Order: sequence, then structure tokens, then C-alpha cells
Amino acid sequence: MQSIDLAQDTLTEAFPNTLRVCALHAFAYCPRLFYLEEVEELYTQDAAVFAGRQLHEKIEQQEDEEWLDLYLEDEILGLRGRVDALRTRDGQTIPYEHKRGRCYRDDNKPQAWDSDKLQILAYCCLLEAALGIVVSEGRIRYHADNVLIRVPLDEQGRQWVKDSIQQAKQLRKSAYRPPVTSNEHLCTRCSLSSVCLPEEARLAHNKEWHPLRLFPQDDEREVLHILEPGTRVGRTGEQLKISRRDQADEKVSVGQVSQVVLHSFAQISTQAVHFLAYKDVGIHFVSGGGCYIGSVDTRVGSIQRRIRQYQALSQSDFCLELARKLVNCRGEGQRKFLMRGKQKSKSDKVELEQAIAQMKAVLKQVPQVQSLESLLGIEGNLAALYFGVLSQLLAPDTPDLLKFSGRNRRPPKDRFNALLSFGYSLLIKDVMNAILTVGLEPALGFYHQPRTQAPPLALDLMEIFRVPLVDLIVVTSINRNQWDVDADFEVRGQQVWLSDRGRRKFISIYEQRKSESWKHPVTGYSLTYRRLLELEVRLLEKEWSGEGGLFGQLIVR
Amino acid sequence: MAELKNWYLVCYDIRCPKRWRKAYKLLEGYGERVQYSIFRCWLSQRMREKLRWELERVLTKEDDLILIRLSQQCVKDLPKYNRPNTWLLDEKGFRVM
Repeated sequence: MQSIDLAQDTLTEAFPNTLRVCALHAFAYCPRLFYLEEVEELYTQDAAVFAGRQLHEKIEQQEDEEWLDLYLEDEILGLRGRVDALRTRDGQTIPYEHKRGRCYRDDNKPQAWDSDKLQILAYCCLLEAALGIVVSEGRIRYHADNVLIRVPLDEQGRQWVKDSIQQAKQLRKSAYRPPVTSNEHLCTRCSLSSVCLPEEARLAHNKEWHPLRLFPQDDEREVLHILEPGTRVGRTGEQLKISRRDQADEKVSVGQVSQVVLHSFAQISTQAVHFLAYKDVGIHFVSGGGCYIGSVDTRVGSIQRRIRQYQALSQSDFCLELARKLVNCRGEGQRKFLMRGKQKSKSDKVELEQAIAQMKAVLKQVPQVQSLESLLGIEGNLAALYFGVLSQLLAPDTPDLLKFSGRNRRPPKDRFNALLSFGYSLLIKDVMNAILTVGLEPALGFYHQPRTQAPPLALDLMEIFRVPLVDLIVVTSINRNQWDVDADFEVRGQQVWLSDRGRRKFISIYEQRKSESWKHPVTGYSLTYRRLLELEVRLLEKEWSGEGGLFGQLIVR
Repeated sequence: MAELKNWYLVCYDIRCPKRWRKAYKLLEGYGERVQYSIFRCWLSQRMREKLRWELERVLTKEDDLILIRLSQQCVKDLPKYNRPNTWLLDEKGFRVM
């Protein structure tokens, strides 16, 4: 798939005149890192960042002699930054830079890494410009192997700094995210690797590539589901306090929480909302009947990503191609799921086999489809075939009340549909969480058309996960006899809902399914469904960033 | 690299109640208190360094701090030589209330 051309002037310039010296360091390390941090405002501090800060703190405490911590800015040069240390040696002012790691060795001769060299030279130039003095050299201390390296400032160095500032500023104005660096060693140590996904980008360009997994395997933080009406979620210190009627308060460390889901009318204090937003914890609302209501949207930066999304998804050809992938992915998933059911049952299932064969024929048409409307028709056919035989996957001894005779919703009219509907609400909540985490716009999709109610991009992405995360658990839980037809459901005339007990049960089955790991068919590494949701959104974003081809390949086996 | 997580024991001895309170509140955000001035936290390397950095800003030279990483084996063996329920694990990944 082609990447999207963006006109230079679509992005209005809102950058300060000067560049941080550490941004220049990032630029020398990897232009893409610079772009992600400076333009897309993605910062994920990794262990090394904090360890580095601590080193600086320690040096400050140990230092007995004069210590100057200087914040400098010079508009003409176009730099700003804080010098680690400034010392006077033989009448010369010399900036020092402290690094936690090792130096670079060439023939065992210690040298500075290029990016560090540029950084210290930039500090030298900044000092000269801001204080009006002459600086002859800068020094870098590498603490891991305790090496001090002197970097003399000469004309060549000055020119290097100037050129780099120019190039970096140019890149800052650009709407293009630079490609992944060719040196993959840089990526394994990079703090942004889980956002930039360099290995996946390499795979997109070279199908033979065996990606290392730089994307975290799992998110082990908890999802808190607050079910009981009248429960209050508040903040105390660095903890969430959950107060329930007639029960002792429960406290949860914020570090252990990834989402708070408020079902029905559980209360949350404004303090808690602020706190969770600050800690990047998702807040979602689901109605008492099990409808997804909405989420707290705390995306601030990331507008570049959305502009690219708008540009890409306003091209109808591009949307159509993504939609084809999506319909194919969902249809194949449904078909594979039916085939799996066929293998399990010993008895003849003629209808099932027919439906599987018909679905195969319908799926063959997908690549030729020329409009979204006909694609919708095909998806309708697939769904009709699929739901027409889904009940065949249920065990013969399933109680009549749990049997399935066709999909209906708003409101669901039988127990099976009640289970599906509630499952899809939980799913769309998780998909929304992933979209908001990545910083995309949920209201602009490529398949579902913009409407006022549900966010189309979330509906689009949800298609991929319907079978593995919802349909599958509904069928298996029924076959395992996990449902009580009376106590787990509430029947009000035509409408059927899950009762409080039923919802608790469903949530635990669903969350357990999400924690199962799965080997991704394209990237070849395994990760949990919890993480997979986010990975899939990031892979979608790659479709319009020139690194496409990995999206929509998740098919159950 | 993929983020491995481990259990850590965070133990401290803080000489001034004001700093103690700060450190205590901070640690509550990362894990749970096992005993006075001992917390257990389930941390990745990234989170560990973040915690250390945040603690370092609260503590002064005269305070003591020690972080102990428990290997998988350590945690597995814990119940063998302790009172029951000393170290309960709850790794469901979700909570319904």
C-alpha cells in the first residue's frame, strides 16, 4: 500500500525558535527518534533515562568544588539547554557531560560516541554564543568504564553543530516520519522502541526478516471493573480508593492499574479522574444494561498522527483496500472458527460444511470488490452464513434457552444474544482504549461510515477481534455449562440482559481470554491479546506511514 | 527488549517523619506494604529505575534504602518456609468490584 503524500504547508509551524541540545543528541542518534519525540511528542522514559537522571543527582551531591548548573539559550544559534557542569581549568571554561554508559572503542582506543560528541560540541557552541567567551574543548565522562574524553572544539566541529541544527529544524517542519534506522543495534537500546516498532517496519519491507520482539509481551496491570452501583472511586495519595456500601474500603496502587471501567452508576471523583488521566490510565463507562457509553479522552499531543490519519482515510481507494483486508480477516476468522467446530464434533454436519464451503466462495470475491457498498453486501452474506450455522457449534445437550437462532440486538431478545452484546461492549471499550493510547482519531474510520453514535474506527478494528475474543468464549462457556439460565440472566418481556451475577461471570471469562498468549502470524512472536489490541492499532497506523502490509492478518486457527 | 517483570522488596529506614511520609505515599503507588517500611512491588526495569529516581529525590544521605530483586525461583519457594498467606499472588489481570 502506498504511503500518503502530505503537503509541507499542512502543518502550521508552532515550534520554538531554539532546539534543545538533547534533541540534537537524539537527532544524531536516530532522526526518527528525534521526530517522534520533538514532533509527535512521544516520550517514554525507559530505565536508562531514570538511571541517568539519578547519576546526575548523585554527582551533584558528591561535588564539593564549585558547581555550575547553567540553563542557556541563544536565539541566533538556535539552541537551548542545560550544561551538566562547568569548570574552570587553567583559565579556560570547560563544559562537562556525564554519561552513565560506556564509551565507544575503536582498536581499544576510547572515544566518544558520535551523538555524544555532537552534544558536547553543541554545549561548547552554546556557551560561546550565550556568554560571549571562547571555549576550547568539552569533556565527556563515561561512568561505566570511568573514562574521560576530551573533545576539542574546532571550526569543523562548529560547522557540524550548525549543519545539524539546520537539518534538525528542517526535519521538525516536515510532515514525514523518517524511516527506521538501518542499524538495528540502536533500536534494542532505544527508549521509544515499543512505540516506533522498528522491527515490524523492517518486516514490512522485507518479508524474510525475523523480528526481535521489542514490543512488550504483556501489560500486567489490572483492569478494574466497578460493577456495583453506589461504589465510589476516589484518590488517596498515590492510590485509588474504592468505597463500597457496607464494606471496608479497598485501596489499589495506581501503578498496578491499566483501566478503570465504571459499569452502571458507579461514581468517580474529579480528583480521581485527574489523577488517572495524569498517570495514563484509561477511564471507560459502560451502562447498566451493558452498552458502551464512552471514554475519557486524554490525548493531548499526537496531532501529527491524526493529521496523517485524516489524509489517509479521506482517500477512498486507500479506505477500500483497508476495508477489503478487514472483511477478509473477519470472514476468514469466522470460517476458521466454524471449521474448528466441525473437527470437534464427530457427527455429520452437512449444513456446517455447506456454510464453510459457501463462505470460501464468497471470500474469493473480496479482492475484486470495487466499492464499500458491495463490500458491505459481502460482509452481510458472510455474517448470514456464519450466524446461520453458529448454533451447530453448541453441544447437543445445551439447554433450549441458551440456543441460538439468529443475531438480534438493541435489545437482545435471547440469552445467547445477550452474551454476544455484552461481550461486544467490553470489546469496543478495549479497542477504544487502544486507539486512545496510540493517539488516533476514533471517529474517522475506513469501513464504517461516520455517524454520530459509535466511533467508526473502533467499530472497524473491532471486527478483527469479534471471533477470537467474544464469539469463541460465548460458545465455549456454553459448552462447558458455565451459565445458569435463571440466575445469570434477567428477562424483561422481550428483552434479555445479563444479571449482576452473569456480568461478573462474563467479565472474568472475557478478561481471562484476553490474558492468553497468542503467536502473531506475521511478526512470529507471541504476546497476549491484551497487548495485541494495541499492536494491531499501531500496525494500522503503519499502513499509511509507508510501512504497511502487516495489518489485519489475525486469523484464528 | 521485551519488558520482564520481577518482584522487588523495597526496604527503607528514614530518619525524618516528613520524608518518611513522602516516601511511604510514593511507594503505595507502586506496590503493597508487607510490613512497616517494607514494600513489595511487581516492577519492570523501567519502573524500577523510575521508582529509584523518585525515591532518590525524597531521601537524603542519612536515610537508607535497599531494593532486592527476587528471582522467579525465590518467589516460588517463598510459601515453603513461611507462614501461610505471607505472600499471596493474585495475577488475574483484572478485578471485578
